Amino acid sequence: MTAVIQDQGFVARAMKLARPALTFIAPLFVMVLFWELLIRIFDVHPGIFPGVSAVLIAGAESITNGSLFLHIGASLARVLTGTILAILVAVPLGVLMGVSPGVSMFLTPLFRFFSVLAGIAWIPIATLWFGYGFGAITFVIFNAVFFVVAYNTLLGVSSIPLQLRHAAASLGAQRWAMLWEVLLPGALPNIVTGVRTGIGFAWRGLIAAEMIATNLGLGYMLFLARDFYRTELIVFGMIVIGILWLMIDRLILAPLERRTIERWGLVR
Amino acid sequence: MHSIFIQPVLNFWSGYIRLVTRYPTLGSIFPFIPLLLLWSVVVDAEFFPRSFFPGPADVAKAFYDLSRKGILLAYLEDSVVRLVVGAAAGMFAGVFLGLLVGLNAGFYRALWPILLFFQAIGDIAWLPLLIIWFGFGIKTMTFVIVYTVLFPVVLNTVLGVRSIPLDLHRAAQSLGASRWSILTNVVLPGALPNIMTGLRNGLGYGWRALIAAEMIVGTSGIGFMMFDARRSGSVVEILLGMIILGLLWYAVDALILAPIERATGQRWGMVTQ
Repeated sequence: MTAVIQDQGFVARAMKLARPALTFIAPLFVMVLFWELLIRIFDVHPGIFPGVSAVLIAGAESITNGSLFLHIGASLARVLTGTILAILVAVPLGVLMGVSPGVSMFLTPLFRFFSVLAGIAWIPIATLWFGYGFGAITFVIFNAVFFVVAYNTLLGVSSIPLQLRHAAASLGAQRWAMLWEVLLPGALPNIVTGVRTGIGFAWRGLIAAEMIATNLGLGYMLFLARDFYRTELIVFGMIVIGILWLMIDRLILAPLERRTIERWGLVR
Repeated sequence: MHSIFIQPVLNFWSGYIRLVTRYPTLGSIFPFIPLLLLWSVVVDAEFFPRSFFPGPADVAKAFYDLSRKGILLAYLEDSVVRLVVGAAAGMFAGVFLGLLVGLNAGFYRALWPILLFFQAIGDIAWLPLLIIWFGFGIKTMTFVIVYTVLFPVVLNTVLGVRSIPLDLHRAAQSLGASRWSILTNVVLPGALPNIMTGLRNGLGYGWRALIAAEMIVGTSGIGFMMFDARRSGSVVEILLGMIILGLLWYAVDALILAPIERATGQRWGMVTQ
């Protein structure tokens, strides 16, 4: 008896958790129905836009022959490598530059200029310097993330009220404590926002760079499918790209940003 | 001895700081001078082959040559016209759609996930399909820019509209405002800061998408120039293109975005970043 009640409790709780997910997915489901309906009513040629079943078959095919995971793996590995390298270099540099108001005032325009160039604008020169492949693409991603994160770190550190730093110093904080307990935490919301923006640019840059400069990865998968007019594979790839980005942004970056901002008691 | 060398530097530095605080514009130009000097020193030291890493003088010469031939101006015009036309179209459609979705709970429930999903697919992923549909040309590029500008504007407009307190709607209604005047006097002004954020993001992404589209499908434009230069191995023209892109964004920021933001931000009593 009690077991049943507990069970109901569990189901109810599961339903409660599933509800937002359901209300999110339902419209997408309706859209897919519409898509199939439109294809059938207007008898659209598969060379223009594929039907749902064709996309599913193409997807299943690329999963069973393993090529999908190869492409996804290559793309994610490039993003991860470039992003992590960029953050490791950008944050210390940004903190260093932001400590002195004069220096940060001097360097801000430079970093703004380069953060504007983030991502795609580096593709031509990257492919010329590094040749086609992993190096060029990682370089593009590194640049997309590096300048945005360094610029935001610089902003974050220089926006910490000077009184806070004076207070910490007068309480006897050494350099190291100042860095760990004042500068880095104070700049963290800006750093996280920078990382989110930077990865946004990097992801787009990645897809563009993969179309131009490689033989593996999601962008390449799309562009190769175009050569053979395989619209079903293109649409499948687009859906994969969309879902991957939603997952990266909504499950990792947005919660990270929200949490740091909430924890630091900042309201936007 | 020590201070003989240090003191002039410090004096110069403090003079610089004073000058810059008085004329902020100088402060955003001057830092580029040492960068240019550093650049030419590194190039003159010949760490890298000159054809791989040309100096500022080479780039300036390329700028002079290309603008005398008229190529640069024509390409620049192509890119800017595409950006402006696409951004304007995306902006109007975005605000309209955003108001629709933000004001109607049914539309919101039905369309919000779809909007998020299409935003996530990203402009550039559309390129292969668009090339099949429209070929290599202006239609493809226009579609990409409109698409890129549209989604950030829609999403931010919706956020802005939905963040207006319901009390304001009710107050306006109880004072006898018609639906139209609520729209123009309450909803639009209330959502304007968010719309501006959307426009800024949209232009930032749209402008990058334009460059990518010009590289992949283009026959003209700054992105095309850079990629064409890449094919012929001319690093000078690539660097020139990058510098122009940076300056172009400065111009867009200073001439279009900043004035609007200042006007709305000040009038609305808000501070934008």
